[in-house]
Amino acid sequence: MKYQIVIAGVGGQGAVFLVKVLSIAASLAGQKCLGTENHGMSQRGGSVSCYVKLGDFYAPAIDEGQADLLIALEATEALRNLHYLKPNAGTVIVNATSEFPEVAYKVYHTDAFSKARNKAFPIDALNVYMLGFTLAKDPNFPFTCKEIEQAITKMNPKLAEKNINVLHQAINDAKAKA
Amino acid sequence: MKQTLMGNDAIALGLIHAGIDMVSGYPGTPSSEILANFQKYKHHFKLDAYAEWATNEKVGFEVAYAGAIAGKRTCATMKQVGLNVASDALMSAAYIGLKGAMLLVSADDPGFYSSQTEQDSRSFAKFARIPVLDPATPQEAYDMVKLGTKISHLFETVVMLRPVMRVCHAREICEVDEGLSVTPLEGNFERNVPRWGAVPPAGRFRQGLEQLERIEVIKAWNWKELIAPKVAALKGEKVLFLTSGTGDGYVREAVTEQAIKADVLKLDMPYPLPKTELEALFASYAKVVVFEESYPCIEEQLSSPKLYGKLTKHAHEIDEFSKAKVMETLANVGIVKKANPYQSPKFTGELPRRAPNMCPGCPHRDVHYAITDVFKKEHAICPSDIGCYTLGLNQGAIDTILCMGGSVSMASGFAVADPKKAVVATIGDSTFTHSGVAPLINAVYQNHRFVLVILDNSTTAMTGRQTTPERSNPAQVDIKRIVEGCGVACHEYFYEPELSKTIDFVRSLKTAYEKATGPVVAVVREFCVLDKEKVEGQLGRAFVEIDQDLCVECDWCITAFKCPPMHYDENGKMAIDPFLCAGCSSCLDVICPVDAFVEKEEV
Repeated sequence: MKYQIVIAGVGGQGAVFLVKVLSIAASLAGQKCLGTENHGMSQRGGSVSCYVKLGDFYAPAIDEGQADLLIALEATEALRNLHYLKPNAGTVIVNATSEFPEVAYKVYHTDAFSKARNKAFPIDALNVYMLGFTLAKDPNFPFTCKEIEQAITKMNPKLAEKNINVLHQAINDAKAKA
Repeated sequence: MKQTLMGNDAIALGLIHAGIDMVSGYPGTPSSEILANFQKYKHHFKLDAYAEWATNEKVGFEVAYAGAIAGKRTCATMKQVGLNVASDALMSAAYIGLKGAMLLVSADDPGFYSSQTEQDSRSFAKFARIPVLDPATPQEAYDMVKLGTKISHLFETVVMLRPVMRVCHAREICEVDEGLSVTPLEGNFERNVPRWGAVPPAGRFRQGLEQLERIEVIKAWNWKELIAPKVAALKGEKVLFLTSGTGDGYVREAVTEQAIKADVLKLDMPYPLPKTELEALFASYAKVVVFEESYPCIEEQLSSPKLYGKLTKHAHEIDEFSKAKVMETLANVGIVKKANPYQSPKFTGELPRRAPNMCPGCPHRDVHYAITDVFKKEHAICPSDIGCYTLGLNQGAIDTILCMGGSVSMASGFAVADPKKAVVATIGDSTFTHSGVAPLINAVYQNHRFVLVILDNSTTAMTGRQTTPERSNPAQVDIKRIVEGCGVACHEYFYEPELSKTIDFVRSLKTAYEKATGPVVAVVREFCVLDKEKVEGQLGRAFVEIDQDLCVECDWCITAFKCPPMHYDENGKMAIDPFLCAGCSSCLDVICPVDAFVEKEEV
C-alpha cells in the first residue's frame, strides 16, 4: 500500500499534531511511515503544510501531483496546496463554506469555523474535528477509527477523551449531512 | 524496539545509546530539539549527564571539545550558520584531535526554510578536514550518531553529523536499541602541553601533518567499511548515481516510480572520499551522476569526464531537492527525455499572502510600532537582529538584518557613516547574550551614538522557547547589570499592553538620545505569548472588533501594526479573526486613526 497525505493549515491550528497522530497510527497498524513539516518563521498565523507518506518511501517530502489526500484546516491553505494532489484522482477534505471554488478533485467541505463559533466544539480541537470528518468521508483513508483513537490516546492520554469525543462528533456530523 | 521518532528525537536517543553524556550547543532551527530531547531522555533514563544550552555555538563547541579532550564522549549541537560562529574553534580542534569522542551536529537548511543562507556543512567538514556523515532519514541519523561516535574515538578526531531539515523534522518509525547499556566514560584530563597547548609552530606543523595522514587512513576506512560492501551489491547497470543524505531518498523514489535503470550508490561519509577507488569504479559505467544537497561536496573530490552534477551545470545549484529536480537533471544529462512527471495544475485564483509574522499578542509588535511612531522611518535607521522580532520587517520597522549580534555593531557603523539619522537597533535577550555584548562594549568605548533596545522575553522564542542564561539564573545573569557592566546606564521598561505607555517609554529614550554622546541602552521586560509559565494573566483581557461604520479602509493598522487576525472582510472593511485574536488589546487605543477598533461585547 502507498498513500500520501498533505495536511495544510495556519500556525496554531494543530496541523503538526495530526502528523504525529497519523505516524503513531501507522506504527500501531504495522505500516511504514515517513512524514515531515513545512513551516516558515512565524509560529502563529503563518502557512503550515505537513506530509505523511505511508508505505515504501525513502524521501519525506511529497512532490507535486503525488498526494492522494489533502486535509485542509482552512480554505485558502487548501487552495495553496491543491497541486500536490494527483491530477483527477485526489481527494480534498476542507474546512470551508459552500463557497469553496470548483476544482478538479473530489471535495468534501464542512464549515467547522461556524460550528466552533456556535460552540459545537472547542476551536482548539479543529484539527481532530477535521480528522473525524476525513474518517467519515474518504473511503480510501488507510486507518480505521479504532486505530486513530488508539493513536490519539498514545499521544496524549490526558486529553484523549476530549479529543475522541470531538472525533466522533465530526463523524456523526458528516454522516448526518450525507 | 520500534519507536515513532522525529529526526532530532532519533539523534538525541542515538546520543544516549552511543554513550555520550556531555552535550552543549545553541538552539537554531532545524537543530534545536536535539538538546531538548536529550534532556528529556536524561531524565527518563535517570542519567548523570550534562546537557545545557551554551551562550553561543562557539562556547557550546568549546565546552564539548574540552570534555572530549578530558576523555569523555561529547556532542555539540547547532545549525549551519551557528557553525560559522563555532568555526574558529573547530579549525583548531581539527588539528589537535581528542581522546574520548566528540560528535559535532550541524543541521543544514536546504531551501532556506528558516535561515539566512543555504550552506553545506559537509563543505565545512572538508575545509576543516574532519570526517562527516550524511544521514537521509531519522533511522539513519540514529544509526550514524553511534557510527560517528565510534569513528571519533577510533581516529581521535571530531566527527561531524550533517542532518538537513528533512531529516531533523522528518518522522519515521525507527528501530532503536532498548534501554541503556553503555557506561559513560569518566573524564580524566592528562597534561600534554605539546598536544593541547596550541601555540608553538613546530608542534602545530607536526599536528598538521598528522591530520593529513589521519584523513588518508579515514579515506581507506570509508572505502573498506562503508563503500565497498555497497559496491559489491550494485547490479551492473550502464549508469551510476552517486548520492548522499536526503539526495538519496529523492533519487530512489524517482528511479522506482519512473522505472529508470541505474545503479545507486549512497555515500554515507561524503568526506573524506577514497578518490582512486571510486574513480576506478567509473570504468564500468557510461555516465556517473552526482545527487547531493546543497553544495558539490562529493563532486569536488572526484574527477572524470563521465561525471555530471552541479559543477557541470547539469544539476540545480540552489534550493531544496525534489524528485522533479532529479528528473530535470537526468533529462539534462540525456538519460531520460525532457518532461516532468511530477506536475499538477496550481490554483490560479488570488490567495492572501501569509508573510512570516509575529504571533497575535506578541509584545515585540508594540515595541517596533512605538519605535517607528516616535523616531519616524524617514529620519531613522533601524538595524535588527536574529529572532522573532526580525519579523518586524512586515511592519516596515526594520532596515537591516545580518547575523546574530550584528544589529549592535551595525548600529555603530550607521552612527559613524550617517550621523544625520537617528539609529535605533533592536535585539532579543538570547541574541544579546549570544553575541551582542562584545559589540556593545565596542560602542561604549568608542562613544557610538545610537539607541539599543533589548527585547527581553526571557526565552529563545523563535527556535522553540529554549532556556536563556538569565532565565535559568536571574540572580547572577541580569541583562540590566550586564549593560551597566559594559559601562552605560540601562533604561528599563516593564511591558504593558497599553500601547501608549510603550510609546511614552520610547519617547523618553528619544529624549535621552538627543542629549547622549554614546549609546543609549534600554531593556524591555516582555513575555512570549507561547510561554505558558510567564504569559499567565497577560492575554485575553479584552478582545477587539471593528466598528464597520467607522472603518475608512485606510490600511494603517494592517500596514504598521500587522497583527495576524487583521484581514479584510467581504465588504473590504477591516475585520478581526476571533479564532486568532489573543485578546491582548494592544491595538485598541492608539493605532486606528478613526477609532474604529472597539472592545468586543461578548467573547
